[in-house]
Amino acid sequence: MTTENNNVPLESTTEDNFNVASHSMVKYSRQVSRATAKRLSLFFIRRLVLLLITIVVGVYVTIIVANMGGYVDTILKAQIREEVNMQVAEMSAKSHMSADERRDLTNSMIADREKLAGLDKPFIVRSFTHLKNALTLNFGRARFMISDHGSRMVRNIILERLPATLLLMGTSQLLLFAVSLFFALVISRHYGSFWDKLVVALSPTSSIPPWFYGIFLILIFAAWLKILPFGGMVDAPPPPTKLGYFLSVLKHMILPAFSLFISSFMINVYSWRTFFLIYSSEDYVDMAKAKGLSSRAIERRYILRPTLPNIITSFALMLVGIWTGATLTETVFLWPGLGTTIFEAVSKYDTAVIVGTTIIQAYLLGITVFLLDFLYAIVDPRVKLGGGK
Amino acid sequence: MKRFTLILLSLVMVLALLVTACDKPADPSVDPSESAAEPTDPVPPESKETDPADPEPTEPDATEPAPPSTSRKGGWLDEVVVSVVDQSAVLAQLKADAIDVYVNGFGTNGLAELQESGFDYVTSNGTYYTIQFNPAEFASGEYNPFRNRKIREAFNYLIDRNYINQEYYAGGSLLKWFPIMTNFGDYADLVDVCRRLEAEYAYDFDKAAEIIRGELEKEGYELKDGKFEKDSKPLEVVFLIRNDGDGTRKLWGNYLADQMEKVGFTVKRQEGTGQDLSPVWIYGDPKAGEWHLYTGGWGASVLNRDQSNIFQEMYLNTSAQGIPVFLANESDPEFQDLGDRLYRRDFKTMEERRIMMARALELCLQDSLQVMVVDSKNFVPHVDGVVATTDLAAGVESAQITPFTLRFADKEGGSLRWATQPFLFSGPWNPVQGSNTTCDQGAVNMTETYDFVYDPYTGLVHPQFAEKAELTVLEGLPVQKTLDWVNLEFADRIVVPEDAWADWDAEKQQFITSGEKNKGAEVTANVKSVVTFREDLFDVLKWHDGSNFELADIVMSYIIGFDRPKEASAIFDKQSVKRFENVFMKDFRGIKIVSTDPLVIEGYSDSFYTDAELTAASVGSMWVSHHQGQGSFSQFAMMNAAEAAGELAYTEEKAQEKEVEQTSLIGGPSLEILGKHLDKLIEEGTIPYEPTLSAYITKDKAVERYKALKAYFDAYGNYWQGTGPYFLKSADLNGKSLVMAYFPDFPDAADRWDRFSEPMIADVDIEGPGQVIAGEEAVFDVFVTFDGLPYKNDDINKVKFLVYDAENNVVLIDDAEAVEDGHYAINLTGDDTTKFGDGATKIEVAVVSLVVAQPTFQSIEFITNK
Repeated sequence: MTTENNNVPLESTTEDNFNVASHSMVKYSRQVSRATAKRLSLFFIRRLVLLLITIVVGVYVTIIVANMGGYVDTILKAQIREEVNMQVAEMSAKSHMSADERRDLTNSMIADREKLAGLDKPFIVRSFTHLKNALTLNFGRARFMISDHGSRMVRNIILERLPATLLLMGTSQLLLFAVSLFFALVISRHYGSFWDKLVVALSPTSSIPPWFYGIFLILIFAAWLKILPFGGMVDAPPPPTKLGYFLSVLKHMILPAFSLFISSFMINVYSWRTFFLIYSSEDYVDMAKAKGLSSRAIERRYILRPTLPNIITSFALMLVGIWTGATLTETVFLWPGLGTTIFEAVSKYDTAVIVGTTIIQAYLLGITVFLLDFLYAIVDPRVKLGGGK
Repeated sequence: MKRFTLILLSLVMVLALLVTACDKPADPSVDPSESAAEPTDPVPPESKETDPADPEPTEPDATEPAPPSTSRKGGWLDEVVVSVVDQSAVLAQLKADAIDVYVNGFGTNGLAELQESGFDYVTSNGTYYTIQFNPAEFASGEYNPFRNRKIREAFNYLIDRNYINQEYYAGGSLLKWFPIMTNFGDYADLVDVCRRLEAEYAYDFDKAAEIIRGELEKEGYELKDGKFEKDSKPLEVVFLIRNDGDGTRKLWGNYLADQMEKVGFTVKRQEGTGQDLSPVWIYGDPKAGEWHLYTGGWGASVLNRDQSNIFQEMYLNTSAQGIPVFLANESDPEFQDLGDRLYRRDFKTMEERRIMMARALELCLQDSLQVMVVDSKNFVPHVDGVVATTDLAAGVESAQITPFTLRFADKEGGSLRWATQPFLFSGPWNPVQGSNTTCDQGAVNMTETYDFVYDPYTGLVHPQFAEKAELTVLEGLPVQKTLDWVNLEFADRIVVPEDAWADWDAEKQQFITSGEKNKGAEVTANVKSVVTFREDLFDVLKWHDGSNFELADIVMSYIIGFDRPKEASAIFDKQSVKRFENVFMKDFRGIKIVSTDPLVIEGYSDSFYTDAELTAASVGSMWVSHHQGQGSFSQFAMMNAAEAAGELAYTEEKAQEKEVEQTSLIGGPSLEILGKHLDKLIEEGTIPYEPTLSAYITKDKAVERYKALKAYFDAYGNYWQGTGPYFLKSADLNGKSLVMAYFPDFPDAADRWDRFSEPMIADVDIEGPGQVIAGEEAVFDVFVTFDGLPYKNDDINKVKFLVYDAENNVVLIDDAEAVEDGHYAINLTGDDTTKFGDGATKIEVAVVSLVVAQPTFQSIEFITNK
């Protein structure tokens, strides 16, 4: 936060002088406050406008890409034709309809279905309607997908899958973040030690994706040892008691969460450890060491504090990331989360769901970036919002 | 900040998330399943089949070991736990004893792995594959070789179907030349024609190359450096090859492309998924010349006994497919006429039909808009000790009979873990137009009963809660009967009585009689079917909420079919209009409830099947089954009220139009809305469609039914119910699992349908001399068995044999003669053996059963000497 109230001279001691000085000070202070407020307001507005433009552009690009520039209309029309043809073939199998009657019926059913799907309007027109709806969080109805509870509303489809994703991703990513940070700090203090070398040596193992670890873990713990389930989120049928349900979820979460954890653990430790090492070799750290400060104090005041903005950024972006789920890992473990939903939406060209998840992500990211500006200023005195002096 | 603060904070958040995300499971206040698991209603042991009206020919006899009698009623199992599993993990889960059966099954491409695993499996039809040609004349003027029927026909010689089957389908598919299914009744009936043509169109690369070269040379193409060229321009064809699904189309598509390149085509292979390629081949204009061939795949999920419409559908420009590429085909006039006539069933007798079908089989090969490749199979694996019935077409998951036969071989009761694909709950569940995926339908089937139930091996029907039928057919229509529960008669004229219901007045909420509709004019029909139901129907059959099954349920269900397409209706749905008016009403002539005790229904229609059983069941019956499951009086009253209030809709199309949710009886926002309307029905004592239904139910009774449904919901958290052997005890919608629990009030003995536990596919052995002298008599013995016991001759339709000479030409086709049960003789005269020529000779026997549509083939080779 900007603090600009140190430049007022306080030399007069008489009452008049004091009053004048006081009056001047108040006036100056007001001017400064007004200037600060104005600067901050401009900063907020500028940031908001920029973020909004970014979101609008991002979402519109998503709409265009998800619809393949309108080609999805052609795909959908082909699907409708195929479905209607099958329907009519089934309907007329034992009837006395002539070929012409069938053709008329087919064409009229296709026209109805295309109209209902909005395909009778040009894509470019619909793309702006999609954009408006997305920005106003009016997600509408999915084209093909349906929530497990039988709802076509995109909102319900997303909300239904969100808890499972937050649970899995939240658990694994928070653990990953905290544990890797802790280990990185420890290892950075023991540069060149066996553990340090081990981390460096094993960091390439993170190139293996989590779903790959998942398959191995399933083979070991489910297929071979038979102590953990193959997948899903809870036993079938679910245990009737709350505690049983909780434990069942926990049991089902072990393998997918561990897959996500283990696949990124080494590289995270390696990255943070390198990051801390860079900060550990700054001149001011050497100076602190020369002054004889304890290593804990050095770590806390001279290493962690300057790295805090990066840690916070990483943490905040991680929080945003957990909303998207882990597509392939969720698929491997049949985890009913958002990742599989997005995957399904992409494979089915269900643009409403794709755009729905994207806009949530975009807003979350936008808000996070916006808030991070303030957080930086709070945790790091060198940062001044809006370029104030 | 202290060192561990961050970790601590994270852990707290993790726990918070964990607790938040753990949804509270359904906790029904009443759980009668405990009593349901062990039926408390003792019943005396019953004989296997007590229904005298069902004397169909597969009654247990010497050929079938008699199953142990049981006192158990309903389903064999205490519960079926349905869950989802990724196909890649199926075998591992079976090995780990995590599941008992994977009902969705493996495609033929997974057969080798399945066989290696050692698990038992049952078999049904899978996808059938074809080479689809684009026969259009291209607008650009560019030459399209596949406008030429002879070139298309030559592709039958160009592909080695046996190689494709062995290489890409582990030998588990059936080689396919014709659009009729290789294991359906028509193929069995025409087996001699089919086998002769198959021999004629066997793989012959040189012949294919010669035909193609000859035809292309007529167009001015020359073979230069192994490629056809004209004006120095190669003959390039675009081949759309699907690379999704089980991946086999990519394999044989590339094999075919290689074969084509060997002949001289320049093949541009364009691989893609269905979604990538369908805009080109289905939606695109074939005249645009964007493609020449496509790796087609089609399904036959119903055991169709009459495929006479298939030639029009798969080849002709009058095809019901309506896809532009079909419309672009110009067939031989004889084939066009024959295919159209067969579609219209323009034949007087079954023999005439047979002759027409035989000719159509020849002509379809000459047309070859599609060249058939293989009928692939589907294999459903299960652990030892599980008995699962497979419908030859629909498999285990979709077979109506499955819930009645599924069991553990060595015990009654038990919990069976039924695994399916991860598409469970892929749509809302409502009986009118809910999810129809096989994953959902498999569970839904467990809750259903039928008036007539499909035979999984022949495609005929047997009465379940119906008992018998009298079918009258207009003289000259080709209808024949097989089973004894139907009585078939022919008449010169069938008049619809004036008091038969012929339509529905949605405003007055009353049926319109035939007399009212036609203002007294006489109305006739092609068929009349009088179906008599079981005498104890209304005494013994119960809904899952404990209510008695009533006539009001049947009439309510019938009204739904008429009311939804009427604009004046409170539940009008324009999506239902076309099917109702253009299809149903086109043939429907009237229906009448003749008697209520026992229930006798008389139906009139212009629509018929060539099988009397199917015609009788479809024309003269009313039941409570709908598109997805059964619907009771109380369920429909509740759902109708919600739809009439504009809060829910049966169909997705209407839901989308009205911007409301589609009705689901098992979860989601629907439940609250439905509950509200159910309370209102109880409060007001409403009888829906009162002008009609008040004749079948009183207000008090209606309220009693509503209350029973409400109590059911309170107990199990869903409104789904039927009258079948299992009820939906719980559903974990997010976790994708459900529990189907034993319904103790189901009236029939558990072993009633045990005869369908296994298809009686015949085993055939041929014994005979290794050498035959031309001009001399010879005898070959054919032994037909099932499970090591002789196959009853009454269950065998025919035993045909074909003799192939050394050059694989068919030189003789005839019937073998019955000697005794399971024993036939092929008696060859001196004249017969003279036809064989010199050298290796083969006799192929085709055994066509009456109880299983799938014929069995066996062959023996010998030497013929002059």
